[in-house]
Amino acid sequence: MKFIIERFDGKKSYEQTYTVEKKDIEALTLLSVLLLIKQTQDVTLNFTASCRCAICGACGVRVNGHAYIACDSKMTELFEEYKDTDTFRIAPLANFKVISDLVVDWEPAMENLRKIKPALVAKSEFSVKEGCRQNQEEFDRIIKQWDCILCGVCASECNKLSADNSDYMEPFVFTHAWRAANDSRSKDPMIHVKPSVTNGLWNCVHCQECANRCPKHISSADDIASLRALAMRKGLNSGVGPAHAKSFYTDLVEDSGRLNEIRLALRTEGVSTALRAGTAITLMGAGKMNPLEIFGGHTIEGHKDLVKMIEAAHAANKE
Amino acid sequence: MTEQFTRREFLQSACITMGALMVGTGGLEKAYAASSTTTSDTKMPSCDVLIIGSGGAGLRAAVNAMKKNPKLSVVVVSKTMPSRSATTMAEGGINGVVDFSKGDSYELHAYDTVKGGDFLVDQDSSIKFCKAAGEAINELDYLGMPFSRTKEGKVKARPFGGASKVRCNFSADKTGHIVAHTCLNDAISSGVKFLMDHELLDIGVDNGRCEGAVLRNIRTGDIAPVRAKSVIIATGGYTRIFWNRTSTPYISTGDGVAAALRAGVAFKDPEMVQFHPTGVVHGGTLITEAARGEGGYLLNNQGERFMKKYAPSKMELGPRDIVARAIETEIREGRAFGQGLEAYVLLDVRHLGKEKIIKDLPQIRHVGKLFENIDLVDQPMIIRPTAHYSMGGIDVAKFDDMSTPIPGLFSAGEASCVSIHGANRLGGNSLSDAVVTGKIAGEGAAAYASKADFSAGKRLHDLAFQWNSRFKEVTSNSGDAKAMYAIREELGAQNWDNMGIFRTQAKLTSLSSGLEELQARYKTLRIPNPNPVYNTAFTEYVELGNLLLLSQAACLAASERKESRGAHTREDFLKRDDANFLKHSMVTMNESGKLQIGWRDVEITQFKVEERKY
Repeated sequence: MKFIIERFDGKKSYEQTYTVEKKDIEALTLLSVLLLIKQTQDVTLNFTASCRCAICGACGVRVNGHAYIACDSKMTELFEEYKDTDTFRIAPLANFKVISDLVVDWEPAMENLRKIKPALVAKSEFSVKEGCRQNQEEFDRIIKQWDCILCGVCASECNKLSADNSDYMEPFVFTHAWRAANDSRSKDPMIHVKPSVTNGLWNCVHCQECANRCPKHISSADDIASLRALAMRKGLNSGVGPAHAKSFYTDLVEDSGRLNEIRLALRTEGVSTALRAGTAITLMGAGKMNPLEIFGGHTIEGHKDLVKMIEAAHAANKE
Repeated sequence: MTEQFTRREFLQSACITMGALMVGTGGLEKAYAASSTTTSDTKMPSCDVLIIGSGGAGLRAAVNAMKKNPKLSVVVVSKTMPSRSATTMAEGGINGVVDFSKGDSYELHAYDTVKGGDFLVDQDSSIKFCKAAGEAINELDYLGMPFSRTKEGKVKARPFGGASKVRCNFSADKTGHIVAHTCLNDAISSGVKFLMDHELLDIGVDNGRCEGAVLRNIRTGDIAPVRAKSVIIATGGYTRIFWNRTSTPYISTGDGVAAALRAGVAFKDPEMVQFHPTGVVHGGTLITEAARGEGGYLLNNQGERFMKKYAPSKMELGPRDIVARAIETEIREGRAFGQGLEAYVLLDVRHLGKEKIIKDLPQIRHVGKLFENIDLVDQPMIIRPTAHYSMGGIDVAKFDDMSTPIPGLFSAGEASCVSIHGANRLGGNSLSDAVVTGKIAGEGAAAYASKADFSAGKRLHDLAFQWNSRFKEVTSNSGDAKAMYAIREELGAQNWDNMGIFRTQAKLTSLSSGLEELQARYKTLRIPNPNPVYNTAFTEYVELGNLLLLSQAACLAASERKESRGAHTREDFLKRDDANFLKHSMVTMNESGKLQIGWRDVEITQFKVEERKY
């Protein structure tokens, strides 16, 4: 079996291929394979690892382009996933600066965590001395997000970060904001929501890759969507993102039930921007929209039911 | 796979389009800003309070040092990123009395702790500790720690080993992870600065006073002195001396304890290492005591709950040293499964039901699947004791500020020994120790730094120079890395075989000469990697040096303590000997680098020393 490892020695990047016998690694985890290579073939290979049981988050790497925590990835599972390939390509997590080989720089991510003030600010009825009160349901609501081990897998998978990280943060940062904002003990969710909004909350592109690969099965994408709804409920309505969301809502509920993409663009971007960007023209060219429907389209079948569903979801959300 | 890549490329191009549309709206938000700290500078800063270690203790120390005096500069040094600590691995819970309605009290918690520690506990410290632990639970709750809850919405507790009342507060079976992240969130929100990827090499002590520390920036390889008015060592335990037969992370190599020993502080009770009864057979990872706390059984190859022979009233919930010895005895007397290092007994939780296992023990179910291909819902887990916790550590002279005898040097958490745990720590007391002693050390170090000046730092400069030379000498393009890993493996095996759960003079004497031989081999090691950038081989080299030194100290004290007490079982001295050994062993290093042993009396205040029975 071949392991092609993407390496960086501080100055130059290169690939190095290591050969191991399949029978020697079948019972191992990916982390054990990396340790085996380091200890028996090449001590200059650098990576980080600490707990070896999927709780510390130190050993995130990419295998054939996708992110995993190495200690939690059994080779048998990787064989199955990649259909008995005889070559694995191991690379550092994407969307982090590489320091050396598979080691990445966590400082920018830590600075992003700082922005959303991850610690709870408890309600004034609670105190250091007496602690807080929270019922089991309220605990259950947030505890999934507390499984986050800061392994960086979601960030590595994030398409938005790959395209442009200048106006966005790692998905787990939003999950940290979500759990602080949605804690029943929290004095004011806006402490965490506001900085989320100003640091890219509306720039998530819903690709769901973060949720697909999280080793703890957390959906940062859902947390982001939920934070957006919270932001709008709390009156943070200005800007492209909220306008975009409202336009969806207006079409689905108040209008025809059919998403009017022309009006979506107009409402989102404003008339001048949309025309400049040529969105409407592009859509028409693609045959996606009848330009006459700018004045409203025909109502879909079962529109009343759709409105009921959305209202029910709305009500459920408010509870 | 090709399809996945195509999808990915598609999505990325979509993002770029989206980005183009967004232009003009996000200007202000683009303050991705120059908010970065000095942490990435290659030049190492001086700071008022320098904290080494970023587990629960280090993080609590940092926040509380800043609170005590907001004018001070406080920096936390970590050889990894701050959330990779052993704290995250604790599972079962955190002890502290918050519910007084069923007759529990701080005194009772203290008594259980003293008895659990086989009376090698400084009783005054234990009383103060238990009071602070109770207070810490509500404080953690206030800081945002999500605890499992009672019907009344209060923090939920479960029974735990060696405890006479229910006071082990928990968050499912991930309590340590939750504590660590609560502390980290608090530290981040409070503005604590981190020096990540920095390794402690030595502590500078000159004219009897701590000057700061020599740190290696692992990213760049720069080795430099950092002056500090006060230093807190919170680097965790040293159970990696057993290398692969420990539950602790790879990074628990006792760097701070070794540096303190070299700097002239005593290493107190180094022989007191706790063996956790239920480690995974392959690799030593932990199956939490909560598995037994929730009602799990230990079974031998006769299908018998053998704990009835060893702790008839507490059964599986006897204290850890007793349960670990019971398992090893079953193995030695042929009532276990497997052979040699692969021998094991069974931990059965199936009767608790699938729902309870999934809800309250999810982490251990995952570990069972990962390491042994066992689903605890369907099959009993195969387990064997594993080295778990360092009761011994840096001699802390005063609980009230966690100061060592050297002015300016403080210690907290597992690295420290203020003799709360004595010869055997109770389950659930380690997380309390981390947050309680961390906080006190932070306040103590801040109070000291508020009045102190920087020292000249001459010793620091000398030490940094020596370490720079050592890096050049040890690393080169030749050398054999396998030799280093061979020493580490042999170290683990020799310590396990000779200084494990059952010890004798013959074994310890043989270990002592074995360790000398390993030291000799270590001195000639050469690491074939001269690259200063993130040289993890050199990090491992430094850690191995520390493990060797700490093993020698532990071996010396284990040989000299000719009695059995708590986790320290001498088969040639099976009785506890209070007349001669109701004392802390104090290992120090003399000028020529030789280890010496001394003794200090245990502080006995209100609890009578008596026979320990469960």
